[in-house]
Amino acid sequence: MAEYVNIVRRALGQLGGHGGVRGFFVQLFRANDVKTGALIGVDKYGNKYFEDSKNYFFGRHRWVLYTTEMNGKNTMWEVDGSMVPAEWHRWLHCMTDDPPTTHPPVPRKFLAETHQFNVSATPQQYVPFSTTPKKIHEWVPPRAH
Amino acid sequence: MLRFPAVGRALSGAAKGSLAPSNSVRTQSRAAGTMVEVFVDGKPVEVEPGTTVLQACEKVGIQIPRFCYHERLSVAGNCRMCLVEIEKAPKPVAACAMPVMKGWNILTNSDKTRKAREGVMEFLLANHPLDCPICDQGGECDLQDQSMQFGSDRSRFTENKRAVEDKNIGPLIKTIMTRCIQCTRCVRFASEIAGVEDLGTTGRGNNLQIGTYVEKMFMSELSGNVIDICPVGALTSKPYAFTARPWETRKTESIDVLDAVGSNIVVSTRGGEVMRIMPRLNEDVNEEWISDKTRFAYDGLKRQRLTQPMVKDASGQLTATSWEDALTRVAGALQGAQGSEVAAIAGGLADAESLVALKDLLNRLNSDSLCTEELFPMDGAGTDLRSNYLLNTRIAGVEDSDVLLLVGTNPRYEAPLFNARIRKSWLHNELRVALVGRQVDLSYTYDHLGEESAVLQELASGTHPFCEVLRAAKRPMVVVGSSALQRADGAGILAAVSALAQNARASSGVDEGWKVLNVLHRVASQVAALDLGYKAGVEAIRNNPPKILYLLGADAGCITRADLPKDSLVIYQGHHGDVGAPMADIILPGAAYTEKNATYVNTEGRSQQTRIAVTAPGTAREDWQIIRALSELAGVALPYDTVDEVRSRLAEVSPNLTRYDDVEGANYFKQANELASAVDQTLLAAPLVPPQLTAKDFYMTDSISRSSQTMAKCVKAITEGASAVDEPSIC
Amino acid sequence: MASTAATRTAAGAARVVKPLFSRDLDEAKRRVRELYRAWYREVPNTVALFQLDISTRQAKDKVREMFVKNKHITDPRVIDMLVIKGKMELEETIKVWKQKTHIMRYFHETENQRPADFLSRFYQGHDP
Repeated sequence: MAEYVNIVRRALGQLGGHGGVRGFFVQLFRANDVKTGALIGVDKYGNKYFEDSKNYFFGRHRWVLYTTEMNGKNTMWEVDGSMVPAEWHRWLHCMTDDPPTTHPPVPRKFLAETHQFNVSATPQQYVPFSTTPKKIHEWVPPRAH
Repeated sequence: MLRFPAVGRALSGAAKGSLAPSNSVRTQSRAAGTMVEVFVDGKPVEVEPGTTVLQACEKVGIQIPRFCYHERLSVAGNCRMCLVEIEKAPKPVAACAMPVMKGWNILTNSDKTRKAREGVMEFLLANHPLDCPICDQGGECDLQDQSMQFGSDRSRFTENKRAVEDKNIGPLIKTIMTRCIQCTRCVRFASEIAGVEDLGTTGRGNNLQIGTYVEKMFMSELSGNVIDICPVGALTSKPYAFTARPWETRKTESIDVLDAVGSNIVVSTRGGEVMRIMPRLNEDVNEEWISDKTRFAYDGLKRQRLTQPMVKDASGQLTATSWEDALTRVAGALQGAQGSEVAAIAGGLADAESLVALKDLLNRLNSDSLCTEELFPMDGAGTDLRSNYLLNTRIAGVEDSDVLLLVGTNPRYEAPLFNARIRKSWLHNELRVALVGRQVDLSYTYDHLGEESAVLQELASGTHPFCEVLRAAKRPMVVVGSSALQRADGAGILAAVSALAQNARASSGVDEGWKVLNVLHRVASQVAALDLGYKAGVEAIRNNPPKILYLLGADAGCITRADLPKDSLVIYQGHHGDVGAPMADIILPGAAYTEKNATYVNTEGRSQQTRIAVTAPGTAREDWQIIRALSELAGVALPYDTVDEVRSRLAEVSPNLTRYDDVEGANYFKQANELASAVDQTLLAAPLVPPQLTAKDFYMTDSISRSSQTMAKCVKAITEGASAVDEPSIC
Repeated sequence: MASTAATRTAAGAARVVKPLFSRDLDEAKRRVRELYRAWYREVPNTVALFQLDISTRQAKDKVREMFVKNKHITDPRVIDMLVIKGKMELEETIKVWKQKTHIMRYFHETENQRPADFLSRFYQGHDP
């Protein structure tokens, strides 16, 4: 009996735990999920990190709710896995159990001040230069004046 | 050094300086009754006396293996590969050097013959490296093929192989001297065909080496041919080294357009890229040789190319655009202009199809200012009589001639294959050559009559001592260079030469078929353009500057922006960004000669076609198609859609243009002379100096060879020495 | 006179031509109807079997279109020949001797009409 009560309580908590009816639907459509858990921390961009290892199996017990605006980009509906900064990435992916809130990362030169998105499939992506010689070298018109 | 009997005259020829009339043309015909009957493997064959065993076998259709023997070179007989057994003879004989005797039975496949071949092959391979997998000759190597066919299946050779140091003989020919089998074909080619005594042999026996004695370049405009005649991989092409194998290239038979000879070539391509260019046999034009420019300028086809249409934007910068945009702009300008405000200039690489299309387009726009870049005197008969601007005697005709007078030309660099014919005739047929113009090295001796134009007048009036020789000549020839006719007094020179030729003809009493007057052109498009009715020279355009100027591959720079009004529109259609493209407002990219099916007419008037070997780069199109598309947008659509229809239009204008590989003879010399004598133009005192004097001026003459790095290296090697362009060797 | 005789002999010759299957037009039409019915029944099966990205409706429309395309033909022998060809196609479809692409070729999805006039060919490519 008690476990059924617990299920009902969790269900009600998931329905009401996202800030009313609107919050519930926003959460449902953005994350495709309405699960609730303990808020472990918030990074400087506003991504929220949750954990619930009691009710979820390993691999689903940590998750992130992405922020709605990051690096000047509106990320309300366009979220991307690369929005997670490096220090949270290792906690989120269970490389460590120590979140950066309790164990701040050692400052390193290579760690970026502002986290960058992945630029693959965008015009900014890195393309290796061709190593095959050109078959035809076209004429480049001289600069006018 | 080895000397061969046939080049004896090359040494003694210099001594001949007197003006005594030369003897008659060598006669080839022999009495029919003196044929010798021999047997080849029992098969009877009738041959002329003096025929070698090898030629007799060839007549029956049996190929004797050979390395040193080459039918266009003197016989050396030092490779011994052609050993055959003669019945009842004590020893095998070298077939290439042995004249046949009556009743001989030649055994080409007997045990003794096969054993002799196998033995020779074993000795040749004793000192030949086994590097066929990295050898550029692999796949087209005579030694490789013949060792497969006639060699032994195993080696008995356990000693060390001989090694020879490689030589640097210039930026075109790579030498791997260890591979040399001392056939001396290259030595004989250099001294007999090319006429330069650069190559020779040093040492004896096992230490025999081919080389240049001292460190220097193999300086000849025909040097590339030693790559073809080398039976092994000792002499290979430097630009082609390690780039392709003969079995992976596709061969396209085509025509060379970098000079006016129209050499027949084979274009080897792989993956849409020209890998190399090799000669094709045509006894009437280039025999089996081609010049270095023809052979090695192909890398110019890959550089400085126009690949997409360009227009000038508001800031005056040429920017790439689409065909629709570029053609619409040109068509709009053409529609807004009066007929007389449009003019066109055709360059030296334009083909007959695009020339006729351009002429039809401009004629439909009521304009007739169509010019060629190359000048030709229009006074007198001008270009109205075809005989005035052709090499009427034809290139092969030199071999029948006995006296040749060159006027203001340097055929060695203006038409190297024509010069090779002259040298051949000088060497074998006692051809006597004289030159009016700057004294240059023609690779054979000649009577230099002076470089002043006054000499020409004396010759024309018959007061010069050389006129005696001309008078005594049986088949005289007079060749005037196109550059001599491009002076301000060109018409006067043509008149003088014409009178001179007419006099020589009258005194020689030669039959009607023999032509005396010849003009040697330097660019491939000129004869076709004049046949189609283009005006020669841009003087008319300079005097009457048009609003719209259409440049069809005009890269000689005879019209500049300064000659045109400020607001004029210049359209350039061509394949290279050279001289014409930077001054243009609109650029329409065309196809180079390896990228189109096109008709070219050489200086003899022989029309030949190039074939598509590779597709034109980028969005470039065949030239006549561009003009055809333009005509439709301009509202005066030309009535042909396919190349066959263009050619039937060509045939309408001038039927000889589509009679391929055939020379349409020209006539009316007498009338042309009468018209020319009506021209009363005094000759200028300036000496007759052709523009190409030394080898340095030979390599870069047109937009393709000017963008070729190989040609640039040749010029650098000539001016600064072969070591200046030496590349670190890979092998 | 001679010409009428010639036409008469020609007509006579046409009359004695051996029929393929059908003796007259009605019989040929019956064969067409039979074939059409067979195709019509097979269509849903084909769409499912080949996992075509089209609805049964579209496929049936296509079958109808293919039949209607030849409705002007009145010669029973030509109709018979077309019916034979249609049966062969049907058999190949039912027994999955065809592949998806062969079925979809009826819909001319990837066929580009090559331009016929010079200018469009010029714009389109090197070798029109």
